[in-house]
Amino acid sequence: MRRLALFLCVLLIAAGVAGQDIAAGVAGQDAPSPRRLRQFAEPVADARLDRLERWLKAVARHAPGVADPQANEVGGWSQPDLQSLWIDVDVLVKSMRNPGILRFSITPPGQRTPQDILYTKPQLQRLKTLACAAIGLAVDPRCVERKAATGLDADLLRLASLAYAARTGGDGDNFVLRRGALLHGDVAMLVMRTAVEPVSTSRSLGPQRFRMQLSDGYQTDFGQQAVHWEIARMVLDHVKPGSTDAAPGPDDMIRQWYRATGAWMQAVEEHDTVHLNRARAMFPADPDILFLSGTQREAYAAPRIQIGMRSAVLADGVKFDIASAPLELRQAERFFRRALEAKPDHVEARLRLGRVLGLLGQHADAARELRQVVGSVDEDVLRYYGELFLGAEEEALSQFDPAFAAYQRAAALYPAAQSPWLALSSLGRRRGDRAEAQRALQHLFDLPSSAGGADDPWWTYYVAQARDVDALLDSLRRPFLAQGEP
Amino acid sequence: MKTPGPIALLATMMLQPSAAGTAQNTVFSAKVEMVRVDALVTERENGPAVVGLGPSDFEVYDNGVLQQVDLVSFDEVPLNVILTLDMSDSVAGERLDHLRTAGAALIAALKNEDQAGLVTFSQGVGLGAPLTHDAGRVERAIENAAASGDTALVDGTYAAITLGESDAGRALVIVFSDGVDTASWLSADAVLAAAKRSDAVVYAVSALSRLKPEFLREVTSLTGGRLFEVEKTAALGEIFVRVLEEFRRRYLVSYTPRGVEKGGWHRLDVRVKGRRSSVKARPGYLAGNSP
Repeated sequence: MRRLALFLCVLLIAAGVAGQDIAAGVAGQDAPSPRRLRQFAEPVADARLDRLERWLKAVARHAPGVADPQANEVGGWSQPDLQSLWIDVDVLVKSMRNPGILRFSITPPGQRTPQDILYTKPQLQRLKTLACAAIGLAVDPRCVERKAATGLDADLLRLASLAYAARTGGDGDNFVLRRGALLHGDVAMLVMRTAVEPVSTSRSLGPQRFRMQLSDGYQTDFGQQAVHWEIARMVLDHVKPGSTDAAPGPDDMIRQWYRATGAWMQAVEEHDTVHLNRARAMFPADPDILFLSGTQREAYAAPRIQIGMRSAVLADGVKFDIASAPLELRQAERFFRRALEAKPDHVEARLRLGRVLGLLGQHADAARELRQVVGSVDEDVLRYYGELFLGAEEEALSQFDPAFAAYQRAAALYPAAQSPWLALSSLGRRRGDRAEAQRALQHLFDLPSSAGGADDPWWTYYVAQARDVDALLDSLRRPFLAQGEP
Repeated sequence: MKTPGPIALLATMMLQPSAAGTAQNTVFSAKVEMVRVDALVTERENGPAVVGLGPSDFEVYDNGVLQQVDLVSFDEVPLNVILTLDMSDSVAGERLDHLRTAGAALIAALKNEDQAGLVTFSQGVGLGAPLTHDAGRVERAIENAAASGDTALVDGTYAAITLGESDAGRALVIVFSDGVDTASWLSADAVLAAAKRSDAVVYAVSALSRLKPEFLREVTSLTGGRLFEVEKTAALGEIFVRVLEEFRRRYLVSYTPRGVEKGGWHRLDVRVKGRRSSVKARPGYLAGNSP
């Protein structure tokens, strides 16, 4: 099984706050007067459009899966810069889709009144030019009419060419959106992993992301983190599958993106509830996304998170969406059942369902599911979990002989693992057989793992569901790597 | 701790004829029925220890039934001291230094006839040193212990209790942890049940900052031990030695249960006749193979 470097020491939970929505006004309205600029909260500095232009160039140049100069440049932008970028990219996409729009507003979370985003007339013209580049220039008569290409440098012309090629390849105006999501995902995964800034008191309309770090049950850090995942999700929300005439909606690339990035988050224990909530909203019956949703809730029920939440000190108004262990287990159960409805042979979902039912005290139901798992699974690690959990359920049902046999089978699968021997020792004691309890414990002490070497898959149970993350990411990125130069 | 000391025999053998046996070749099975209870008698709660008591001074009630105390030992039975140390991430650094110093102080305070062992736990459980009279071996194991990983406190405590019972003598388990369990395979309930079946006495030192050490509180209470909650670990050595001294002042009270059911939970009440005193002993024990 894949070893995960940060599994033992770092646990992260991220609360994304991305409920904002940007509204776009109709064409024909003039740019706001200087008086209005002073009156409203979100005037736009020219530097923001400079950043938006750099962003477009980075999107076009970035090689997916690589911490290249583009990823590092974007990774170096500050949290306030990225909050503004979130707004400006959203505005850019709306301008790509409707070049006539001149007025934009945003409704911050918790507020009813939208606030205008105040671009000056020159800024709006520049925005339109960038939008022309992002859609591939020649396809929109207004871009041609405006002679947008004359305002573009070589990098932006290259972007326009790539976007045009994607469009002629049948992907509408999604080039910047898909590539943008890949770029920000890569920045989050490859460049910005653990960076946390103090919680900002500055007022910004963009989304905020908070990150709490737990280690060994203790909170070790809390702060604000760059909103790369929020930007990635936002641009994917704008994808129109296959055609510019279609309504925005999910497609297989987006499904793969959520599946791979969701697995990555669990592999490194950076749990982001919002991420999978959004994935389920787009793919409500996808068995893999439902499965990951279940494993996330199962992890939330684990002592390492429950204990950490009990002692956590957070900023005012910040609340992580984590309930008590029984409630989290119930949620996990529901997700695993839905995954099995969508894909009845999803053996790993059944395995986890069995464990969760056992933790909820439904031992007979749990044993039934787990017997089905051990009777059908091929992969050693899943069989190991199945036997170990089945042993515990048989024991809970006072079926000591079947419990003993299940623990023995688990021990045979991973001879260096400690957990089956602890279980056998404890079971021996329960049966009144102290000699057996001592024998099993001595066996445990004699294992190479006692010297700190060998693996017990139980120790990586909460990341094991993501053991195929590398393959998932490769599969996601491969089509984009294959796209050649224009 | 250089040579093995005398081992007191504390179990009686009850011989029962086999139902299948014949007069000529009767097979007998032997079953240990004796219950032993470690009891600390003080003049008042946390007051000075009362010494010099004999069997006739004690009253033991097993599920409310007064029992005949057969034997009372005081500072005669060698100790099996299992030092059980949290070696998870959070211990790394200064705390680990304090632990090493404290461990060495404890080992130095043992008598020649005592044995010591070292169990460590992070996400896994390790046997740093088996029960041994070789103090140097245990000290070296403490010195070599390194901190990393999560906290399998429950598994570690289970291993220590079981190891403590692996040899004759009085088992004293001293657990240190600065965390709560985040990684064990065994459930707290299973290990508390094991503690109820065990003669081992568990003392614990918890250096938690914002959480309650619920498991350690329960396991120390169930075994008649004591929980020390500390903020700093600099004085850990004093606490370890104090635990040892307190344990030496405990009486080992033994009796063979009469007039009570064999299985299930047995509520214990240990008293000293004719004087106002405080008795600290485990509140009961679990017999048979019930959960």
